[in-house]
Amino acid sequence: MGFLSTIVNWLLGLGSSLLVMIVLIILGLIFRVGFAKALRGGITTGVGLAGLFLVVNLIINALQPAVAEMATRFGISKTFVDVNWADAGIAWGWPGVAALIVTLLIVNVLMVVLKLTKTLWTDVWSYWHGSALAGFVWALTGGSIFWGVTAGVLYLVLGSLMSDLTAKKYQEFNDMPGIGVPCGTTVQASLFAMPVVWLLDRIPGIKDWDASPEGIKKRFGIVGEPGVLGFILGVIIGIFAYGTTSGDLGLTKILGLGMNVAVMMMVLPRMVSIIAEGIVPITMSIVQYMRERFKDRELYVAVDCAVLLGHPAVMASSVILFPLLVLLAAVLPGVQMLPIASLAVVPFWAGAVVPYTKGNVVKTVIVLLLYAIPFMYFSTLTVDAHTATFQMMGQYGDQISQGLKLASWDMGGDILGFFIQKLFGLFG
Amino acid sequence: MGKLIVVACGAGINTSTIAEDSIRERMVKEGFADVEVKRILMADIEGFLTRTDLVMIVSMMKIFRTFNVPVIQGMPFLIGSQAEKDVLLDKIVDVVKKV
Repeated sequence: MGFLSTIVNWLLGLGSSLLVMIVLIILGLIFRVGFAKALRGGITTGVGLAGLFLVVNLIINALQPAVAEMATRFGISKTFVDVNWADAGIAWGWPGVAALIVTLLIVNVLMVVLKLTKTLWTDVWSYWHGSALAGFVWALTGGSIFWGVTAGVLYLVLGSLMSDLTAKKYQEFNDMPGIGVPCGTTVQASLFAMPVVWLLDRIPGIKDWDASPEGIKKRFGIVGEPGVLGFILGVIIGIFAYGTTSGDLGLTKILGLGMNVAVMMMVLPRMVSIIAEGIVPITMSIVQYMRERFKDRELYVAVDCAVLLGHPAVMASSVILFPLLVLLAAVLPGVQMLPIASLAVVPFWAGAVVPYTKGNVVKTVIVLLLYAIPFMYFSTLTVDAHTATFQMMGQYGDQISQGLKLASWDMGGDILGFFIQKLFGLFG
Repeated sequence: MGKLIVVACGAGINTSTIAEDSIRERMVKEGFADVEVKRILMADIEGFLTRTDLVMIVSMMKIFRTFNVPVIQGMPFLIGSQAEKDVLLDKIVDVVKKV
């Protein structure tokens, strides 16, 4: 026992990049992808994870002084730094990730065999939502991998049930028979949309109001490009923070912040993509294996939420939502995070809502304005657990001890995740 | 001149990686040394349409527009059986050979 805990402690001390490398190599060998592929996958994911944390560090250093300055000058208390998909770093870097993957695979197969779900969840990448939540619960319970994995699996099981409810609609609208999308905050957006769209369809005036997605894309499409959006938001925050700083220094700081936020908006998803590049080839063999096993059943094979982004109304709604959501977060009392990086999740929500609004831009925007409100409050309420998770993973310890708070919509503001955090917080 | 296949998806994170991997493996097997398989965001596609070496778009989602190069629906890479994948890869090989 002592020997085992020595090994475990040594592994945890390696830091998340090396840990995930070793975990993936072992998983790759279990799934029989061959040593070369396993090694390449492990190293690639380790690199992506390290890169992700580097980018987040850059943005903390750029944004934190700016939001602090805004607070002292105008009393605007929006001081949490938005790190959004840095949560993917928690998901793949927290010590229980391997246990979570294996447990969910087993639970999912059991549920399919017992006909409790039609969703065959072979898209291991999209476990990350549940794995990030598991990481938060791990931190909340003072480092319990058991409670972390349990919470993550619960979240993902509920996700596959939600996927059962939405799969047909996704398939029809996107013309993709056989798929299901169990991804975290995406599939919840569909459930949220159902009653709201029903209601909107009964309000005269809104019922038939629409805007042309092509027209919007032509005029405002450039705002939908992450770099441009980031630069603009960075400059606006910069003006509030440094607008009265004298002369050239103020301007330099404003433009500098714009560039740094643009860097984050473009590079953060790229780093997440490198993490995926390592994980996906290793887990592909499970997909094949499980599919052959159940080929006679009518099942929904889980795919990533990215497949829902094809309709032109998705980006059109998103570019309208970006400024509206920032404004809403700025004026709502008690909300302490201005969304920047988190805006990147909005198109994925829109992709889940347009099948229900039949591609209507106006309705999609209304649904998502309402949907985002709980995210704004929950991301504020969960900030301590969220920040503590990064700290427990050995990231940003110095800044956190000086009062830095890290928040996100996806997964920090997740509605279902919030309640699961509250529940499992009781065990800590 | 080289030949470029772009694999386009919504986020450029997960789904396109899966297809890119399968296509690249097959290209190596066929001995096509001059074929480049590139994963892109659908939002970035405009910049690639003007490239003269572009021979095909593999799309991981339903696209609601037309292009002047062949477009192949890549969904079987995500959810298809090995046989369905092979049919798709054969199609891709055919297009590459013809150009």
